[in-house]
Amino acid sequence: MSNNNNDREVVLSIKHVDISFDTGGKKKFVAVKDANFDIYRGETFALVGESGSGKTTLGRAIMRINPCSAGEILFEGKRISGKISKEEDRNVVRNIQMIFQDPAASLNERATIEYCVSEGLYNFHLYKDENDRVAKVDQALQSVGLLPEHKSRYPHEFSGGQRQRVGIARAMIMEPKFIVADEPISALDVSIRAQVLNLMNKFKEEKNLTYLFIAHDLSVVRFISDRIAVIHLGEIVEIAESETLFKYPLHPYTASLLSAVPMPDPLIEKTRKHLVYDPSVLDQSGAPREMREVRPGHFVHCTEKEFEDYCVKMDKMEKEKG
Amino acid sequence: MDQENTNLFEFAEFDELESEHIAAPRYSYWKSVWRTFFKNKFTVAVAVFLLFIIAFALIQPMLSGYSPIITPNINDASLKFVKPCAGHIFGTDHVGNEVFDAVWAGARNSIIISFVCTGIIMLIGIPVGALWGFSKSMDRWMIEVYNVISNVPFLLLAMILSYVLGAGMRSLIITMTCTEWIFVAYFIRTQVMIIRDREYNMASKCLGTSTWTMIIKNILPYLISVIMTYISREIPSLISYEVFLSYMGLGLGTTNASLGQSIAMYTSYMNGYPHLFWIPVSVLAVISISLYIVGQKLADAADPRTHM
Repeated sequence: MSNNNNDREVVLSIKHVDISFDTGGKKKFVAVKDANFDIYRGETFALVGESGSGKTTLGRAIMRINPCSAGEILFEGKRISGKISKEEDRNVVRNIQMIFQDPAASLNERATIEYCVSEGLYNFHLYKDENDRVAKVDQALQSVGLLPEHKSRYPHEFSGGQRQRVGIARAMIMEPKFIVADEPISALDVSIRAQVLNLMNKFKEEKNLTYLFIAHDLSVVRFISDRIAVIHLGEIVEIAESETLFKYPLHPYTASLLSAVPMPDPLIEKTRKHLVYDPSVLDQSGAPREMREVRPGHFVHCTEKEFEDYCVKMDKMEKEKG
Repeated sequence: MDQENTNLFEFAEFDELESEHIAAPRYSYWKSVWRTFFKNKFTVAVAVFLLFIIAFALIQPMLSGYSPIITPNINDASLKFVKPCAGHIFGTDHVGNEVFDAVWAGARNSIIISFVCTGIIMLIGIPVGALWGFSKSMDRWMIEVYNVISNVPFLLLAMILSYVLGAGMRSLIITMTCTEWIFVAYFIRTQVMIIRDREYNMASKCLGTSTWTMIIKNILPYLISVIMTYISREIPSLISYEVFLSYMGLGLGTTNASLGQSIAMYTSYMNGYPHLFWIPVSVLAVISISLYIVGQKLADAADPRTHM
């Protein structure tokens, strides 16, 4: 991975996005605050955070299920948040697809696999004739390791992993450029997680896809992603390339999150210390916080004063770890 | 291990796709519905009985040609108020007509009215309710329309309509359907709202599926069993409605037979000749109950959770 992000083509750009929910009362619940980052073509950008941190909300905002209350989302330079024309809407639907978390809940139980996979084709009439559609469905099923004979089956007849692959086939048949994968393996059995991840990587290489990978499992994120954004209580606290983030976690929350990853080594595990995140270690002066670039491509959400501390800390860590 | 025996084995070929095969027989929704339905002997017996009654109610009046205004035996006192016996299965009434003919001619009209009304109510109520449940902006004004319509007293409306439209099959059907559909729509709206935001609907939305396609492909198939339950309650309740309206004098009018008409007509002979009252009431009860049982069992069978 190179640091010259400026040369790379931005596919999706999230600009100062706020997402809030009306709770009925005067107070609005702000799920995401001032999210601001770019995703480059061909990369897997991971969004990690604990439950309720707003990562799924942000993913759904890109899918335009949740509206943004401030800021905007750009796809290939065009605004896709808020009201857009019908033509652009179709363009966005075709190019941005989603893989859902729960394969049991995200497939229509009363429709055959054939319908589930062809749904997008029907909506955009992406086939010449019936034979062409069937051929496309067969090809999509085969590309995810399923059999054409599964077409006439119903989702409840499949295992979790198979269903998730149907979900992937349904997204892939649209030939999208960008995929939001919302915890695609969290609901799966551990034994088939790798299968689904490998499948996603296969598609990424074959079709030059870009992923936004939403997850809470850091070991998986490290395996699949190129860059990672850590989100905490709706605020993105740190963005860096995967290895940099794992090596030099700067924000105390990131450090705490990484320290919670179990190690498959009893000796290390014995001495592993779990850092508990305490927000009081942050600068309490009330100075404005924003994303500041500590190293090229490595952003931390901090105040001016903390920024200087982080730079010092970074120098020290680089010296220690080499 | 015994060296000699190893060559008895050979490497099996490994086919990765083999593990993807599903061994279970193919599942078909409607086949499973009928299989579940026919599994219960009692249900099948009731269904056959019901079909027989409906067929009988449709055919018998054609043969008897019964009409409440044709009274050939009105001057023959020996043919009036005959108790049920071999020659007169259900006896005869105050004008010397066969109660058997009167009841079946009445049952025919009552059944036709309830089926037609249910059909109309469902055809209007389901699509309106589905859209209503989906669209938040429609919900805002539809709920007000519902509040207004559901608060109009039904009997008052029936009286006004019967004055305006006159008696007869058509006006009775209009009276019974003109407000009833909104209750179906409201029921469907609630059901749609429950499953509208499920993840598979969100997935369809992400694939660009239109609201209407989502209603037909994603929502209604899930509602088949609750709609069946609703219908199985609606048909008997509409038969009772018709009886009630005819009894109140707002129904089909004196020229047409109906169960309500018969019951209203025979109530006055309750003391001296109770069979005149009890026979049409029993026929009404038998039809309603068997319709309800068959409908309920069909609704249960339509629920895929009962298929395994």
